[in-house]
Amino acid sequence: MSDKPPDELKQPWLVSISQALVGVAAPLVPAAQRDDWRREWRAEIWHRWQFLFHTGEWKRREKALLLWSALGAFADAAWLLASQDSVRSRISGIARSPFTCLAAFAAIVLSIAAVSSGLHATRQMLFSQMPSKAGQLTFIWLHQYIGGGDKGLPADVVPAWQQSSKLLNGVAGVVVSHRQVALKGHSIAGKQLVVAASPALFDVLGATAEVGRFPAENGVVLDHRAWVTFAQRRANVIGSEVKIDGHAYRVAAVLPAKFEFLSRQPTFYLMEKLTYVDKAFIVARVKPGVSEERLNKELTRIAAEICGYYYLQGQMRFSTWRGALLTPLISFGLATLLSSVVAWMALRPRLKQIRLAFEAGNRRTAARRMAFFLSKTGLGLAGVFLGCLEWSRSESSVVLASFDPGSGPFLLWLYVLGTMGVLFWAVADQRARCRVCLRLMAFPVRIGCPGCLLLDWSGTELFCSEGHGLLHVPMMAPSWDEEADRWVSLDDSWKGLFAQEK
Amino acid sequence: MSDLAKLSHTAAIILQTVDNGCSYGFDIMDETGLPSGTVYPALRRMEKEGWIASQWEAEKKALAEQRPARKNYRITRVGAQVLEQSQKRYPLLGKLSQKSRR
Repeated sequence: MSDKPPDELKQPWLVSISQALVGVAAPLVPAAQRDDWRREWRAEIWHRWQFLFHTGEWKRREKALLLWSALGAFADAAWLLASQDSVRSRISGIARSPFTCLAAFAAIVLSIAAVSSGLHATRQMLFSQMPSKAGQLTFIWLHQYIGGGDKGLPADVVPAWQQSSKLLNGVAGVVVSHRQVALKGHSIAGKQLVVAASPALFDVLGATAEVGRFPAENGVVLDHRAWVTFAQRRANVIGSEVKIDGHAYRVAAVLPAKFEFLSRQPTFYLMEKLTYVDKAFIVARVKPGVSEERLNKELTRIAAEICGYYYLQGQMRFSTWRGALLTPLISFGLATLLSSVVAWMALRPRLKQIRLAFEAGNRRTAARRMAFFLSKTGLGLAGVFLGCLEWSRSESSVVLASFDPGSGPFLLWLYVLGTMGVLFWAVADQRARCRVCLRLMAFPVRIGCPGCLLLDWSGTELFCSEGHGLLHVPMMAPSWDEEADRWVSLDDSWKGLFAQEK
Repeated sequence: MSDLAKLSHTAAIILQTVDNGCSYGFDIMDETGLPSGTVYPALRRMEKEGWIASQWEAEKKALAEQRPARKNYRITRVGAQVLEQSQKRYPLLGKLSQKSRR
């Protein structure tokens, strides 16, 4: 039967498009229902147009709403498609396939890459280079006792080392804090990242200014993000007043966009002479070929002789630029190791069952099963590593993780929890899969009585959808039930203890 | 009745609207403010459960009026029971009922 009735009105193009959308969605609908379905949608669209036309409401908003409503035909058609038993069973089969599991993890890793500008933090960690200059860029800080945390050194060691060290090509101190900042008389909301630094900092780092000149003392240098965010890239920001915690300074220079140091937050570098009250992290250029032991010896001696600070062996910590950048990788390695130990200890009572999940009749099947386990675990761990690193460093520190909640101990905890989750899940998932085809088991049948345990039925049996086997998860015996089964018969010799003789 | 627990608030509103006399998909959308992508799948599911029944209007009548025939929905007896239970679960739903409006 025709679904196009005669009408004196010429059908507007928007109605035609809406009808066409219904036509595009129609193939999704099961064939038996398709004609009825198409007829219903087209009739509704036609009646809506007629109603709006005759009531004088056929205007832009209503037209757009009609088009939007016509798009709902896709949702309706998809629902009808998905409600078919054959489609549902196929979707369920795909969901239980081992390839879907791997594809899901791969999709997670790709999504992390997509939302983090192509794994920016990871690329920076692996490939970042400070401007080349003679000597190894090294960070120095204080770690007074085991578990005492990282601390800065009194900043008056900086000029002492600068003047007396024969192993350093340059040295500067940095003190990181969050302070109230006002630029050109306008107060910036919230506290901003301020890095108070020795004037030699940029010389040590080998950085050049994009705009202006680095100040000798008492001047402020904006990093590129701060320049874009708070000064809208205006070159006339040079010389303008910036107040940090009420103290006035002048903006002297702007750093180039590629310069990244300490943090990705907009940063104000306050170049000033640091004193002994400032606890500073030290950035130094160490001459090539100098060992850490030799450097430690010399710097400790100078600190004691000139400044009167006596440091024990190992109290001063050294890290190269590359080493500092690779801290997350080392943390992740430690976290994985720790999680593996915890997982091993926790899963020990179930080792027999776990071994069964990995056992196979022949080598090929065993290799396939192990390859799947290693692939999903590897992809899961990669997801945890990249996700945590990109998320925690998107707005936080580049190096010297101790300052930022997004890294340091916090990042380590994220890694520990994430890796533990992946390892436990990978083992549990392996156990819940068919020993032959690696599909997740289906058709669960509860066994036991529902009242035995507090929360659920106490045992389950699952089948492989391909008919490879049955997985029996035994009922957990409740203590009272176990006791009830242990019936011990007593012979007549016990009677005397219980029976009252008449 | 075991499916009662699965009846969401949105589905209950749609069922109530059908009970109120809105018998076409687009009219239900107008009445509830829900988009077509929500209303139609809900109608399909309710029809499958037997809570509503659909029927095409007489073709002759539609042709006489020079328009395509429409499919209308009406609540079934089972659907009315489900709706009654839903009104207990979602007390404000009863206020949408035409009976209570009168």
